[in-house]
Amino acid sequence: MLGQLFVRECRQTAKSLIYWLIVLILIFDFTTQLGEMEIDEEPQPGQESYGYRQSEDPDIIMRSTLGQLTEEYVRENYTTYPIGFYKNVTLNEKDDARIGQILEETAGIAGRESAEQVREEWYAAQNGQDSADNMENMMYQEPLKVKPADGLTYEHFTELMDEADKILGGGSNYGKEYREKNAQVPMTYEDAVKEYGALIEEDRLTGGYARLFCDYMVIFLGILPVFLAVTRGLRDRRSMMQELIYTRKCSSLTVMVSRYLAMLVMLTLPVLILSLNPLLKCMSYAGKAGITVDMLAFVKYTFGWLLPTVMAVTALGMFLTELTDTAAAVLVQGAWWFIAVFGGVDRLKGGMYGWNLMPRHNTELNWQGFHGGFAQLAANRLFYMAAALLLVALTVFIYSQKRKGRLHIRGKILANRKSKS
Amino acid sequence: MERYWQIEKVNLKYHIPLHVLISVLLLLISPFLIGVANLGAQDTAKALEMYVALIGIVLLPPVFLPEQNHDIRDLIYTKYLNGTAIYLVRILGNILLMAVLLGLYIGMLAYHGCEFPAGKYFCGTLTEMLFLGGLGVFFYGLCDNLVIGYMAPIVYYIAAIGGGEKYMKMFYPFSMVRGSYGEKVWLAFGAVILVIGGVWFRCRRKRRFVR
Repeated sequence: MLGQLFVRECRQTAKSLIYWLIVLILIFDFTTQLGEMEIDEEPQPGQESYGYRQSEDPDIIMRSTLGQLTEEYVRENYTTYPIGFYKNVTLNEKDDARIGQILEETAGIAGRESAEQVREEWYAAQNGQDSADNMENMMYQEPLKVKPADGLTYEHFTELMDEADKILGGGSNYGKEYREKNAQVPMTYEDAVKEYGALIEEDRLTGGYARLFCDYMVIFLGILPVFLAVTRGLRDRRSMMQELIYTRKCSSLTVMVSRYLAMLVMLTLPVLILSLNPLLKCMSYAGKAGITVDMLAFVKYTFGWLLPTVMAVTALGMFLTELTDTAAAVLVQGAWWFIAVFGGVDRLKGGMYGWNLMPRHNTELNWQGFHGGFAQLAANRLFYMAAALLLVALTVFIYSQKRKGRLHIRGKILANRKSKS
Repeated sequence: MERYWQIEKVNLKYHIPLHVLISVLLLLISPFLIGVANLGAQDTAKALEMYVALIGIVLLPPVFLPEQNHDIRDLIYTKYLNGTAIYLVRILGNILLMAVLLGLYIGMLAYHGCEFPAGKYFCGTLTEMLFLGGLGVFFYGLCDNLVIGYMAPIVYYIAAIGGGEKYMKMFYPFSMVRGSYGEKVWLAFGAVILVIGGVWFRCRRKRRFVR
């Protein structure tokens, strides 16, 4: 019975306009973000830049953090993530003055004019006087580093940075969590070769690109499944078949599970098909470079990274639709998507996956970060899978209660009127 | 005039309160998510365009919802008053509500020390709200499906965040951040076309149904 219903639900989904719109959007997402993807070449000696890496040296941490503080003090604008969300903070006069004092105490820079001068001298020293005024060039230059004031201990530095973080409302670049992240140092040729080596040997090329693929696809998969789930949930009501289906012999568990599985399969299928494109690119490159790729990497990452998100979003859509008989799940999931996307803005490089519905890793490199954060990522994915299954179980319960004529929480007349909408 | 006021009264009493409540909640929780005090013009534009404008998706697309049930729609269309008039009254009423909520929010931003051209930002944000809502109205009218009505503006918004400027050009919604208002004229024009198109599709469906 489950198999028959599953096949029927898959057919229903394939006939749904919403489903094909979702497929089109996924193709659009893939084409615009990864359509022109090129495979990384091995780093060569003498390149202009090899990117940046994180340092654990206290002196570098202090210089980088003070550089950030100087930059933001000059801009009069501070970036914070108070509860994981991107937020711009502009201080009032009193707080601004205190930040100025902290900067003077830690870096010996007194006032905004001096800070601006330090900043200009830094960029001018890198590429000549002309580029100091060229803001567009700044993103290609080494970020500002500021020497700590004489006699400043690391302990006192952390105390003052904690205070600055408190003034900014928490979650700033000066809080404990983010201070070490500031210490970005240019990678040497050796560092770059080591990172590339990890991509080839540990990830076998396809692993890194599979993560990048997941990073782009998860953004849309964090919301699109809810449209399918809500439409499917409302379809019986819309076509006035709800009561008829209620009377069928088939158990509530079979009806709901077959529906859920069909949606998961139909949503995963286009993702797997799209992943063939980067896989073929990787294979083509690997063939020329003599690399043995992991042929199943995209499948593994699709199921391990993307499927839990699809499961959670679909389950939430089913649950709220069954509970409320409305499209409220779209708005709820929209809000969750907004929170998850902006909560991941500061974690694009990977390695810090947290409990975000849409874990990010916006690079094919950083295997080390992925490896270090793997336990956290696995816990995250398992949590969302478990939450999805719990929501499905609750949906089955609500559905079975409705079949018994219960849970008309809004009253008979209202429920009856809305039941056909 | 009295009958149009009656339509709006029913809308305010039965159809739109939940959506207004969601919009108010969205605005009330904003200080926890984005900066709302002492912002410069660019950051204020970001808050308005990327967050506050979202209430356009909440408030405008559901204008066809009360007649989603075909039986009710059939009954309503037998009445003397044209269905188009009912939809237009609701749309205008909801636009007014959006303008009021936006006006209050902009007042709050100014009160908290944000420096920005209030009039320009009000018009620019309202235009984006109308375009987002207009997309919803159009696709709801076209497909007779509220979910698609929500889906279209949400996907448009996500695409815009994900570097959509390259593809959207004059229909890019976050142009105020970089001080450009030319796109808002296109968005306003697009919003009018979308709303009219959505109502037309809805009523065209009605005529076919009556025949």
